[in-house]
This record gives sequence, C-alpha cells and structure tokens, in this order.
Amino acid sequence: MALGSLLAGNPRTHFPARAKHVIFLFMAGGPSQLETFSYRPKLTELNGKPIPESYVKGKRFAFMDSSHRSELLGPTVGFKQHGQSGAWVSDYLPHLAGIVDELAIVKTCKTELFNHAPAKLFMNTGSGLFGRPSMGAWVTYGLGSECDDLPGFVVLQSGPRGPRGGAVLWGSGMLPTTYQGVPLRNQGDPIVNLSTPSGITPERQRRVVDAVRELNLKRMVETGDDEISTRINAYEMAYRMQTSAPELMDISGEGQATLDLYGVKDPKEPSYARNCLLARRLVERGVRFVQLYDTNWDHHGGATENLQKHMPEKCRDIDQASAALVLDLKQRGLLEDTVVIWGGEFGRTPMGEVREATGRNHHIDAFTMWLAGGGFRGGVTYGETDEFGFGAVENPVHVHDLHATILHQLGLDHERLSVRSQGLDFRLTGVDPAHVVRDLLA
Amino acid sequence: MKSLPVTFALLSALSVAHGAEPVRFNRDVRPILAENCFACHGFDQKGRKADLRLDVREGALSVLSAEHPEESELLARIFAEDGEELMPPGKTGKRLTAAQKETLRRWIAEGAVYEKHWAFEPPKTAPGLEREGGAVIDALVRKRLEVEGLTPSPEADPETLIRRVSLDLTGLPPSPEEIDAFLHARKSDPEKAYGELVERLLQSPHHGERWARWWLDQARYADSNGYSIDAPRQIWKYRDWVIGALNEGMPFDRFTIEQLAGDLLPGATESQRIATGFHRNTQINQEGGIDKEQFRIDSVFDRVATTGTVWLGLTIGCAQCHDHKFDPIEQREYYRLFAFLNSQEEPFLKVSSPGVDFSAMTAESKALEKQITEYMEKHAADLAAWEAASTPESRKVLPSSTTAILKVPAAKRSFAQKRTLFAASLGGVGPFRVLNDRYTELDTVLNGGVTTLVLAESAAPRKTHLLIKGDFTRPAEEVQPGTPAVLHPFAASADRRPNRLDLARWIMNTENPLTARVIVNRVWQQYFGRGLVETENDFGMQGTAPSHPELLDWLAIRFRDGGWNLKELHRMITTSQTYRQSSVQRVDSREKDPGNHLLARQQRLRLDAEIVRDVALAASGLFAPKIGGPPVYPPIPDGVMGQGQVKRTWTLSKGEDRYRRGLYTFVYRASPPPSLTVFDAPDGYSTCTRRIRSNTPLQALTLLNDAAFHECANALGGLIQREGAEQAFRRCTSRRPGGEELAVISRLPPPDAARVLLNLDETVTRE
Repeated sequence: MALGSLLAGNPRTHFPARAKHVIFLFMAGGPSQLETFSYRPKLTELNGKPIPESYVKGKRFAFMDSSHRSELLGPTVGFKQHGQSGAWVSDYLPHLAGIVDELAIVKTCKTELFNHAPAKLFMNTGSGLFGRPSMGAWVTYGLGSECDDLPGFVVLQSGPRGPRGGAVLWGSGMLPTTYQGVPLRNQGDPIVNLSTPSGITPERQRRVVDAVRELNLKRMVETGDDEISTRINAYEMAYRMQTSAPELMDISGEGQATLDLYGVKDPKEPSYARNCLLARRLVERGVRFVQLYDTNWDHHGGATENLQKHMPEKCRDIDQASAALVLDLKQRGLLEDTVVIWGGEFGRTPMGEVREATGRNHHIDAFTMWLAGGGFRGGVTYGETDEFGFGAVENPVHVHDLHATILHQLGLDHERLSVRSQGLDFRLTGVDPAHVVRDLLA
Repeated sequence: MKSLPVTFALLSALSVAHGAEPVRFNRDVRPILAENCFACHGFDQKGRKADLRLDVREGALSVLSAEHPEESELLARIFAEDGEELMPPGKTGKRLTAAQKETLRRWIAEGAVYEKHWAFEPPKTAPGLEREGGAVIDALVRKRLEVEGLTPSPEADPETLIRRVSLDLTGLPPSPEEIDAFLHARKSDPEKAYGELVERLLQSPHHGERWARWWLDQARYADSNGYSIDAPRQIWKYRDWVIGALNEGMPFDRFTIEQLAGDLLPGATESQRIATGFHRNTQINQEGGIDKEQFRIDSVFDRVATTGTVWLGLTIGCAQCHDHKFDPIEQREYYRLFAFLNSQEEPFLKVSSPGVDFSAMTAESKALEKQITEYMEKHAADLAAWEAASTPESRKVLPSSTTAILKVPAAKRSFAQKRTLFAASLGGVGPFRVLNDRYTELDTVLNGGVTTLVLAESAAPRKTHLLIKGDFTRPAEEVQPGTPAVLHPFAASADRRPNRLDLARWIMNTENPLTARVIVNRVWQQYFGRGLVETENDFGMQGTAPSHPELLDWLAIRFRDGGWNLKELHRMITTSQTYRQSSVQRVDSREKDPGNHLLARQQRLRLDAEIVRDVALAASGLFAPKIGGPPVYPPIPDGVMGQGQVKRTWTLSKGEDRYRRGLYTFVYRASPPPSLTVFDAPDGYSTCTRRIRSNTPLQALTLLNDAAFHECANALGGLIQREGAEQAFRRCTSRRPGGEELAVISRLPPPDAARVLLNLDETVTRE
C-alpha cells in the first residue's frame, strides 16, 4: 500500500488513483433514457399496446393510484448511430452525439427507490435514509482537498428551483461538516456570508482578521489547545476565499471562443452552461468534487414537464454545454484526471403515463448514465435491456456498483472507506457486496 | 477536527500487556473480539461463518484447548502468517496488533474466562463510597489518576469558572455585574459563593432552555415536515413542554413516560398529550405518487431506532433487517418492539394558546384565496372534463365527502367544495397543490388556533409482522409486542394487549440496567465533551468500555434511586472539583493521556451552534430573554430558502423576536439556517445524541460577515464607545484583558474592535 500511495502522489489513497476530480452533472427529476440514449424501436411498433403482464406483475410504481398506466409509449424522438463506436443517441442531443466516442454509456443503471427525494438521496449517499454522507463528502474526506482557497466540494444549481431533498443531498452525514458540499450561488454572494458587511473595506477586514489571529495565538500559548491553531488557519482560508470565490465566478476573462463552445450567452446570466464552465474552472483550481444540479427533468406529462414539449427544451439546455465541458477538459489536459458523470436519480417507464399530456412515470430498473474521463473507456455502451427498456437482460449496474467504480478510479477502496458511527461502520456502498465495473475502465 | 481519540480500551489493553494483573474479558478481550471477530463469529446466526461463535464460551470451546491452551486453534489462526489460515482474513482489512494477540494468548492461558457484557448487568455500588455528591466523583476520578501517576489540575480561575458553569447550566454567559457579584461573594466564602451560583443557575428559567436543546437533539426536533416538500409544521408546543418540564424539575421517569405514552395515562391532560410530540418529530413525505404505507413504516422504524438509542443506548435499528451482528437482539425481537409503536394515529391537537401572528397569516390567506379562485376559474373546463370522464367505478376511490360534492351542481359549489374537487382531480400534483396546501395550513392555524402534533392509539391495533430484510412488501410471521430477552423481564398486563405505556414503564423500571447509565453518561458528556462511555449511543458489545465504571454505576444508581432528579445530577457534577478544574493543557497529562480520558483537567469545548448566537446577543446587549412561543425568523442570508424543492418564505421577525435565542429560530429541515448548520446543529432527520464539533472556514465567514452577527458587532461597538473596550472584552470572555490584549483591541476603531471580540476563539469556546 505504501508504494502504491507514493505512486499516486496522495498518501490517503488505498491504491494508485486514475483520477483526482469528479464533476457530477445531476439531471434532477429523472431524465428519460428512452428519449436520450436507450433506443428501443420495439416500443414504436407496440405503441399503445399494454406491456406484457409478466413484466409488471407485483411491481410497485409511483402514482399507482392515479396517473400510472400500462400501455407502452414509443420514443417521442428519432435516434441515430454516431461516432466510431456507433452508439445510439437521440436527435435531442446533437452535441453529445458528437462526442460519443469519449463516453462510457451505461444503459442498465438500477436503483432501489422510486420517489424523488429518497432516490436522490440514494444516488448521492447510497441510502434512502437521511443523515448519510454524500459521495462528494466521502471523496473529500477520503482524499482531502488540493485547494487552499476554495472548499473541496462545491455544488452548483440551475433550473427553476432547488432539487428535491435540498441540502441533505450534499450533506456530510456523520462526517465532520468540513466535508459537506458548499453551494456556489448564482446570485448575491457565491458563498453564504462571503462578502464583508457593507461599509467594511478589504483593508479593514484584513486588520480585523489580523487582530483576531494575534489574540487567538496568545490564547493558544496560554491554553495549549491545538484547536485554536485550526481556527487561525480557518480564518486565513476564509479571508482568501473572499477573493478567490468572486474571481472564480467572474468568467468575463474567458475567451469568446470558450463562451461559444459552452453556449454561454451572457457571462453574468445564471445557466447550466455557465455552471459547466465554472465546473472546469473549479477543477482547474484543484477543487475535488463538483456537482451540478439541473432541475425539472420530471416528464410525467404535467403542465410544466411535458415529454413532447419540455423534454426537448431541457435537452437543449444541457446538450451543448455538457459536451463542451468534456471537450474543454480534454483540450486542457484535465479530462484524464477528471471523472465526468451524467445522469439523474432514476429513469422513466416504457409505458406512457397520462396527465395533461402523455409522459412517462418514474422507473428504477434500467436507466442510462454516462461517464467520461478519469480512466473510463470512451466509446463503450455497456449493459443491455429487454426490448422495452424495462429491465436489464445483461450487466445490470446498481448505484452502489457505480459508486464503487468511481471511488476506485480515485484510488479509494469502497470497502475500506468507512466511518464508525452508532456502533456500525458506514460506507457509501452499504452492506451488500458492490462491484467495481471493470469493463468500463480503460 | 480533533485528532482521533485513543480509546480507553486501548489504554487498558496496553497496561494489561505490561502488568501482572489478570486479563479481564469485558475490559480487555471483548473489545478485541467485537471489533475483529463477531461480524462472522457472533450472535447473528445467518451471518455466522464455519458455524463458530466466539461471543459465548460454549461456542468458543471448539477452538480452545483445555489441556494445552498454547495449542488452541484460535491462537494458531491469529498468529498465522498471511494466507488462508490467518484470522481475521486479510480481505476484511482487519488486523490484530501484537499487543492484542498477546492479550488473547494470556486470556486463554488464564482459562479463557467469559463475563456477561457489563452493560447488561445491573449497576453495582462499589464499597467505601460513603461520601456525597461531587466528593464521590472526585474520589473515583482521582483513584484512576493515581494509577497512572497523574494529579488533578487546580481549580480554574473564578472568571473562567463562572463563565463555564453559566454556559453549561443556562447557555448564556454571565453579565459583568454577575461576575462582579460572584468575585465579591468569593472573598468571604469561595465554596459557598460557588454553591449559591450553581443554585441560582439551576433555578434560572434559561436552564430549561439550555438543556431542552440537549433533549431536542435526541428528539430530532425541527419545524417542518422534511423530505422534498418540507412544509412547515406546528410542534413548538412540544418544544415548550420540554423547556417547562426541565425547569420545573420533572423527574426523568415521568418525563419519559409522558413523552412515550402521555396520551395513554388515565385522564391524560393536555400537557401530557403535548408531550407525545416526541415521536411526532419524524418526517412526513408529501411528495406526489408515494405509497403512504412505505413512509409510515419508515417513521415507525425511526421511532424504534430512536427509542433504542435515546433510552437504551443500543443500536436496535441494526436488527431491522437481520439478527443483530454484535448484540443479542434477534430480528424477531426488533419487530416485537416495533409492534408497540405500530398502532398509532398521527393527529394534531388544538391547543388553547396565544402567540400567533394572525394579521400576517390572514393577509397571506386572503391573497392565496384570490390566486386559487383565479386558478379554478381558468381551469374550470379541466375539472368539468374530469368529472364527465369519471365513472361510478373510478369514483369509488374518492372519499365519500368528495363524492357528495359531485352531486352538487357546479354553479352552486362553495369555494371549499371546489378546492376539494380540484385537489382530487389533479391527483396531488402541480401548482394548484402548492397554493392549496399552504392555504390549508393557514386555514388550520387561523380557524383552529395553535396546534401541535401528537400521538394517539388506534382503536383497532395493527397487526405487526416480521419484515424480511426490513422490506414492508415482504411480511413474514406475525409478532406480538414484547421486549428483548437479554434485558429485564417485561410485565404484561393480564387483561389487555401490551401498549406503549407498558413499554415506557418497562424502560423506566428500576431493574433496567441501561437507561440510568445511558442518561447520566449523556449528561456527563455535555460537561466534559465526552461520556464516561465514549460511544454514548452504543452500550452494546461494539461500544467502548467505560473509563470509570464505578463512577458510571454510582451516578446511575444515585440518579435512579434519588427520584430520577436531573437537577440533582447537574448539581453533583458542577460542584465537583473534577468539573471545576482548569482546562489548560499540561505536559505530563498530555503525554500520558493525550485524549484526557482520565480527566486530569477540564476540556475546552466550542459552543453549540445556538449558543454561539446566544453569546453574541448577550455580549452585545441585544438579547431578548423571552421564553417559549412560536419559532422566530431572525435575519438569514439572502437566497437560503431557495435551496429546497419549494421556496419557503422567511418574513423577518420584528421587535424582540429578532433577538431571541438560537433555540427559537425556525428550522426547515430541507433548508436550515446556515449559521446554525455551519456550527454543527443537527439536521433533525434522525436522533442526534452527540454533536460533532467542527472548526471550518465557513464558521469564520459566518462570524465575520453574517448579517445577524454583524448587527451584534455594531451594537457591541456602541457599548465600547459608552463603556470602553475592557468592559466589552469582559462581556465576551468574562475576564479582563491583559495589557497586550487591550492594546490590540484599543488600536482599532470601536466597530472593528467589536468584530474582533465576537470572532475570538475564546468567545465561542467554553474553557
């Protein structure tokens, strides 16, 4: 282990790491795999026919007592094969289609819970219960931070509202709050309480911080308490963050070509595209784990989340910028060190659901996520579903397997990354065995 | 974060390896076996490997050799080279140290004697403890220190002492006048002055507030429903009940019984019913499309786990899916406990009480009424279509009150009737629902007065089944209410099915070996930063052994036999010399006992989140001492309430409510106030029996820049101008500054000097 750690350059890894950073593009609400990456032509053929009873017998779904239906719904968009790998991508995602040879597309992701908040918790913490550390917290706890003027785990948000579940999705659970995700906000202070109160100049702030340090140092000598030295360092980092965080958020210095690549129209306007660009800037500065939430991917067919009308709009929102992020990281030599993950908390049913329009219900047995960079193999489509895209027929990948694989790329053994609490050793991947999906790795 | 503490078990193991003292199973051996072996060779039958169990002697005999202890298979396996033979296996990541192997070797050589787990034995009074109160604490702590050749630290200086005991008993720093009075009284009789100080603080109404927060952490109290919708809820009457009960000195057995089963007491009073809010602090999922039974079961799981953790100090929740891996609790026994908590209704209680801002709520309600009316007019056609499409079959799922409305002609329906139909037709989704839910909430308050969530027993008890792997869709055999066999017997009533009241009485039975120990330990933890049993929520096999077993037992017995008197427990601890010691580090004790497990000194502790606020308010003179009432809305940073799925409003409190204690700040579980979470206030999702004390840059940003703290700084700046910097320093730290310190402060203009004072490590620390 000692040798491996030396090779990896981080004494805290369990074995040599392939990646140092993670960017998780979280499509909150559960994007339809059947309108993005999972092409199931049989659904077109059987559109409107009931799904065979054998598939759904004994299964439970959300909204079973109201809008859930059993008639199949064909894909509402065309699909084509792309790249050398010939991966199928829907016409909603032309930019991602252009980089399929960089992506490891997993079509058989499987989770355990079919309501949003619990499922989001599960995707983030490996458990549907509240109070467990999120993956970003685990990773910064396991590896530490490489950045001394920004938090190690940063959260960015776009979309009309916050994700269901709120702050607990990036919480630190039983780990110290040092490891909890820090939301960078689009408006006002990027970090809560970052800016000095009005009327206080940077010079005055510096004088206050200096005086606090002087008195704290004196108290440290008198009491012998090392905790005071931690606090002195915390004040220094806080002071640095006051400069570094606004610098980070100010993307006016990025070239027009970069803004165009991501599709950032107004550098000051909050958007998913701007968040993708910020994610690159965060990774450049050494931030360990960046998570983007984009909300309103819940296309049941309701008034504001209509599969035919709003799903293509959501895809437009994220397509260009997600692809740009991968390309930009690559051209800057950052992609090999950075795992990029795209996906939501679950997928959607092959059966239509009838609300104001026909949409799709939540589905947990076979949804699509993709990974890129950080030692993942590009141009792979992994796992196969049945002809309806209802369940996996080969290579199912449980959320815990995904977690184990991502930790593995960071040099962390998911069985050894644990913390003792309430008499138990907790870990991200839970109690039942989880597996590193080696076929996804280069 | 502090460096990882050396556990006391390790200290003892080390001393055993050196010494001639015989190996003791509970102290020396069990921790090693529990950590490394029981997962595969313990109580859990299904998880057991090679049909070998090491938690009981009969099981271990097959790997022990009576004639030739040195040739025991157990030793062969733990001393094996890497490979197939080695135990624990390499792939578990567990590895015995040389000292641990030596302990096991000696234990086997001495006859491999087993002892029952200490926590399941009743507490025992050690001989020779005739003295009273704090003196016994001191005698037992010193006895242990002497073994290690350590002496206690001198008493802290008087200013430190009054600040410490004031913060510990009331959560507020002493005022300069209180400090002066104490210093003056000490001149004639220091002991008496301190004793009177403790009495004054115990009688202060703020004592109940400070210790209520200790209990509310365990009760997972917050002011919203949690999950994704996270609507506000009214349960602050329960919070006030806790404050009142602690202030009036309610005995802990009554305190327990009223919270677990107050509604079942004969002639239950309103107050006793409010107390049952304890187990209503579970989350409620209002997300669309859920299976309600799933989340009801989840809340019962939480109630079982919380009851086990809070009162028994056991990780009972571990037996939800399988027999406990380490403690003798079968999965079946888990569901017998579950059965006590599975037959409740979850109503709210209308409480006759003032204190709600009716005018603001009425205005909001009127505005909502308008929006809802507009929405309904705009979507009238949708409703008509839904109605037309509905069949007698589809109407069957609707409540009868709703089907009755369908018979009313559309034009003649009232506002309330229309709302009911829209809610039914939309299946609980969309913008209408958001408006309607809030309207309903307001309606409840406005037309129902203050309410609070309570428990009530169902008329028809639910059947309880063992759930395979804890999965509610996989019920197995039915079980009846009952308690784990390893603990004291349960006395069932002959004439009726056992209920929650019986469970509560079983918990508070004097034969219970756990509860008194668990509670005194958790109180002790508040005063020293760590319990006598460090794993305060796990007194089972995996937990750490007590550092001072005789002291733990003596305190437990005194607590139990002295009428479960919490204030007396506080008094005994705070008047002890052990508590009154200086917290300054010493070279000798730092070397021998770096984690201060043996208590050769006190411990500096960063204040709890709410008290960080309270100290700033008190020091700056803004503090509003009002006790109880609805939660308040002090300034919070912009944009915080937009974190969750539903953006919640935060209407700033006016007048004194802007300056209330942190305890009263409204807490939304999904978007809690940042200045509290950043200082490790618990999230209210599950019971919290010990807070983390982190130390982070975000805390620095909060104290430096947060609007609420800045308001305090401005007020303190004004005090500096009027009273001088020295007095302001005292308001923050309770002591006078030294010459150098005063010089550092005085060279800054008053507003900056005030910010420095509120940001000192000392100001947010109890020394």
